[in-house]
Amino acid sequence: MGNVQIKGVTKSYGGVRVMHGVDVEIEDGEFVVLVGPSGCGKSTLLRMIAGLEEISGGQISIGGRVVNDIPPKERDIAMVFQSYALYPHKTVAENMGFPLLMAKRPKAEIAEKVNRAAEILDLTKYLDRYPKQLSGGQRQRVAMGRAIVRDPQVFLFDEPLSNLDAKLRVTMRVEIKELHQRLKTTTVYVTHDQIEAMTMANKIVVMRDGRVEQIGRPLDLYDRPVNLFVAGFIGSPAMNFLQGKVATRDGRQVVLTDQGIALPLDGVQVEDGRAVTYGIRPEHITIGEGGIPVDVSVFEPTGSETLIFGRVGGVPIDALVRERIEEEPGKTMSFRLDPRKAHVFDQVTGQRL
Amino acid sequence: MQSKKLGWLLLSPTLFILGLFGIFPFIYVLWVSFHEWNPFAANPEKLFNWAANYRKLVFDAQFLASLGVTLAFVFFAVVSEVVIGYILAQAFMKDFPGKAFFRTIHTLPLIMAPIIVGSIWKLMTTPSIGIIPHLLKNFGIDLNIGQSAIAAFCITVIMDIWHWTPLVTLSLIAALVSLPADPFEQAQIDGANKRQIFWHITLPMIRPALIATVFIRLMDAMRTVDEVLMLTGGGPGSATRYVGVHIYKEVFPKTNYGYGSAISVIVLYLTIVICWLLYTSLIAPRNKRG
Ligand SMILES: Nc1ncnc2c1ncn2[C@@H]1O[C@H](COP(=O)(O)OP(=O)(O)O)[C@@H](O)[C@H]1O
Ligand SMILES: [Mg+2]
Repeated sequence: MGNVQIKGVTKSYGGVRVMHGVDVEIEDGEFVVLVGPSGCGKSTLLRMIAGLEEISGGQISIGGRVVNDIPPKERDIAMVFQSYALYPHKTVAENMGFPLLMAKRPKAEIAEKVNRAAEILDLTKYLDRYPKQLSGGQRQRVAMGRAIVRDPQVFLFDEPLSNLDAKLRVTMRVEIKELHQRLKTTTVYVTHDQIEAMTMANKIVVMRDGRVEQIGRPLDLYDRPVNLFVAGFIGSPAMNFLQGKVATRDGRQVVLTDQGIALPLDGVQVEDGRAVTYGIRPEHITIGEGGIPVDVSVFEPTGSETLIFGRVGGVPIDALVRERIEEEPGKTMSFRLDPRKAHVFDQVTGQRL
Repeated sequence: MQSKKLGWLLLSPTLFILGLFGIFPFIYVLWVSFHEWNPFAANPEKLFNWAANYRKLVFDAQFLASLGVTLAFVFFAVVSEVVIGYILAQAFMKDFPGKAFFRTIHTLPLIMAPIIVGSIWKLMTTPSIGIIPHLLKNFGIDLNIGQSAIAAFCITVIMDIWHWTPLVTLSLIAALVSLPADPFEQAQIDGANKRQIFWHITLPMIRPALIATVFIRLMDAMRTVDEVLMLTGGGPGSATRYVGVHIYKEVFPKTNYGYGSAISVIVLYLTIVICWLLYTSLIAPRNKRG
């Protein structure tokens, strides 16, 4: 079965440790996205699963078998590189059939499987072409075709869409997701783009500096980020952060900023006087009476929504609202923050309270 | 308009030098090859003799024999150089202690003048004083390139390998360094072993550089003169009388300029034909691939 277990995995390059003990459990058939800023070790972890990088410490098993000392070709995995890594001197059909050729499958079987994959990926017309005669999106699909003809236990993707233009990226995102729903093959997908992570994953692993920050379902990460980093990384536009101290006003707990502005809380158990970071997503702010006063500088209408950029006591705060705003920039507006959607983090540790 | 004139102006020194040292001598040789010309004989005049030199060539047993040994020499030398050069290039792609030192040492033969290479190998192979016959004696082999045709042939091939393999290594290192890493990692994941990676990935990807190197070596080896002349003088008998040596012996001791020129033209023609055959069989069918 195509489950993947990563236990206490570390990685050092010549004495420099870049991965500090990573634990991830991937169930059979899951679509797991490794996400994090550039340089956090996503590719390194994926390449260790693939067997292209040595594992400095810890253990990785695929389908219940420890693979630390097993070469890539015996791990029963398929990988799609960011560069697609197509063989330039082979045709599309030869590229897709290469893993089967290496596995010494009969010619007829190779042709049949390649044709089937080409049909799924809409590549039938291009089977005789060379990679340089294809567009970026087509090359991407050839790389996926080469992965699916093998019917491996696990698919590994390393930022497969980042070389495509924005529109194609959205299309391919859907295609990959559909492909996964159809094949139900365990997939580990690396991206730095949190939207890709949110839209594609069953489970997201957020990484930073060689550590796992949080693992969870996309909406869990969105609703209950465990720390400031995850809170700021997941969600677009990003969460607003305001500093303050917990206090009680009129029998309700609030966060008081240095300017004495009260940010509403609901159902958070924190002792008064504690220094906290108050987090609220732009989409959880509405415009209306009784809110906090914000100096508004820029409106960005997108048609369906309006993104409002403003400042409260010098600190930036953005709101995303459904209605169209017909106001002049430069005036003060009242932002109502939804207390049930507020997040509170310890100012020192950054952990969720 | 301005820029076109300027372009020709900037090109003119190159064109002038190319014309002076490349095109003009070639046309001159071609012209001479249709003459009877022995400038140091009683009659130093050039006498136009139509294709008599070429007609003579076709029936010249010595020339034909010389062509035969040349082709054997070129074949063994170039094939060995490519194989050894590739293995060395792969070795130099890896890291090992003293790599820079070995790479420098390995490249030294390239910067030696052929005449020096010939002298060194003559010293090393002279039966009474040379190190090679001395060492081979321990294995009961009596090496004397002045007497054994086979030994002389082998030693000239080995000398050529020693001299020119570094060129192959250098150009293949350049080719290997510029290859992208991803297809090789992909091939590992796709289940290819080392041998399959070589045949399916490495070889096709370095094919252009490899073929260019083979052409250069082939054309060069076809006109080897000085090293062999120095080492064996073309002997024993005519065992190592490669066409370059043959032309030299026709032109200088016999001062037979017209005939020598005709041989040169034919050898050039043969070289072009060999390259063309290689090109059509190796490159042209793959050209569409990229
Ligand atoms: N071959 C290598 N040698 C030394 N350091 C490396 C090597 N590959 C990656 N690193 C380091 O490991 C860290 C993680 O890299 P990587 O996994 O490529 O990040 P990501 O894919 O998340 O952008 C980075 O700090 C990078 O500098
Ligand atoms: Mg990466």
